[in-house]
Amino acid sequence: MGKLEAKNIEKFFQHDGKPLKALGGVNLTVNDGEFVCIVGPSGCGKSTFLRILAGLEKPDGGEIMLDGKKLDDTGPERIMVFQEGALFPWLTVRDNVEYGLKISGIPEKERNEISNRYLDMMQLTQFANSYTYQLSTGMKQRVAIARALVMDPDVLLMDEPFAALDSQTRDLLLVEMQLIWKKTQKTIIFVTHNVPEAAVLGSRVAVFSARPSIVKKIIDVDYKRPRVAEDENLGTYEKEILSSLRHQGPK
Amino acid sequence: MKANLFGKKIVFYIAIILVWQAIDSADIWPDNIFPSPIEVGEDLIYGMSDGSLFYGIGTSMWRLIVGLAIAICGGMILGIFMARVETVNQTIGSLVLGLQSIPSVAWVPLAILWFGLTDVGIIFVTAIGAIFAVTINVYTGVKNIDPSYIEAARNMGAKGSQLITTVLIPAAFPYMITGFKQGWAFAWRGVIGAELLFSFLGLGFLLNVGRQLNDVSQVIAMMLVIMGIGILIDGFVFKRLEDKVMSRWGLR
Repeated sequence: MGKLEAKNIEKFFQHDGKPLKALGGVNLTVNDGEFVCIVGPSGCGKSTFLRILAGLEKPDGGEIMLDGKKLDDTGPERIMVFQEGALFPWLTVRDNVEYGLKISGIPEKERNEISNRYLDMMQLTQFANSYTYQLSTGMKQRVAIARALVMDPDVLLMDEPFAALDSQTRDLLLVEMQLIWKKTQKTIIFVTHNVPEAAVLGSRVAVFSARPSIVKKIIDVDYKRPRVAEDENLGTYEKEILSSLRHQGPK
Repeated sequence: MKANLFGKKIVFYIAIILVWQAIDSADIWPDNIFPSPIEVGEDLIYGMSDGSLFYGIGTSMWRLIVGLAIAICGGMILGIFMARVETVNQTIGSLVLGLQSIPSVAWVPLAILWFGLTDVGIIFVTAIGAIFAVTINVYTGVKNIDPSYIEAARNMGAKGSQLITTVLIPAAFPYMITGFKQGWAFAWRGVIGAELLFSFLGLGFLLNVGRQLNDVSQVIAMMLVIMGIGILIDGFVFKRLEDKVMSRWGLR
């Protein structure tokens, strides 16, 4: 039994008044402490799949199991990091990071202790009192990751969090992300359209097919960490991912 | 730059007063129809010295504040429900648009019949004149919230009233400020209009007294006071609030 299991997930969208099948029965088992990347052609529904895992959308078929228990709503054990961060502009960095703790009624002193730890981990301490508009895109994503980590979720769901970053910032965060994963031992599911990113981060990479998507192939990236994007030895894995992405066939 | 702008304004207003005085000195109209700025100024000073002006301002402001507070609370509740519950929007929403088109003084006859010539009646007119402008802006604000804010909050466990107070209201606040500003403008018109017709204390009442006494300079003096309060509240309360919110939210 895996930590998080998706069984035969189906999802339809309305397109020009007709139902369009986006997810055609996705099966994916993620083990405890695993770093799984999901790649797929654009519009394949990989983000939708992640939102279903988070409980933000309901599947039209199939079920999600966490530790063998069926899930049907969003919950603090599965926290999402959004593509654009979705930080609250009316709060300081610290208040953003503490938001989830405040909601669950944790007293201020304890909140501060927890947030200090993660602000430090994400190198945000000196920005604790800044507002989000004062931060660069990379900084914002650090805040978004810190905000998710303070919730101490079993599973961290990341929806293309580095897509809007410049390549230098991304390379830096790719290395940090691996260190955070090692330090926190979280189960991470990371959606990306960037193949090198998937090869750097993923212990396994699940390749989605075009619509209606299924998990077409799972590639084990069995390579030492921390990995860096320019490591040529990752090239073999990247090629493998790319070729399975390419062999989609017309739909 | 700022001093320059201020200087321009001062020069402009002095020019208006001088032109006014010049027209008066030309003796085109008799003084009881077209008073000089000095007469109007004397009336203002007289009103201040016997306290009637301050009493009038106080009464109108008190009614305004109560009426506006009711409009803001009611408008926020209504607006948030309209934005979040589709059925409420489809039913009450269409009614709100209709009611918004009724000028606040048109509520006066109903207010007099329901509440008599009382403070409650005037506050009713003030509140109802402002509430729909607040409602519509709050609705628009909540509708325009980036859905990922709401999803992120839900994902971290926010529900119901927590979601409203920690996300919906702060996220929609820049729009809400616009609503409050419009609401205040409608409320101020409503208060003065109602006081004119109720003829029961306040600046609108003093304006009406001026008319009854054929005292044109009193009428003009009260109009200047009404305008002056409008400028002060707009500039000092709402402009500052708006600037603060806009810069905090990173919109400016």
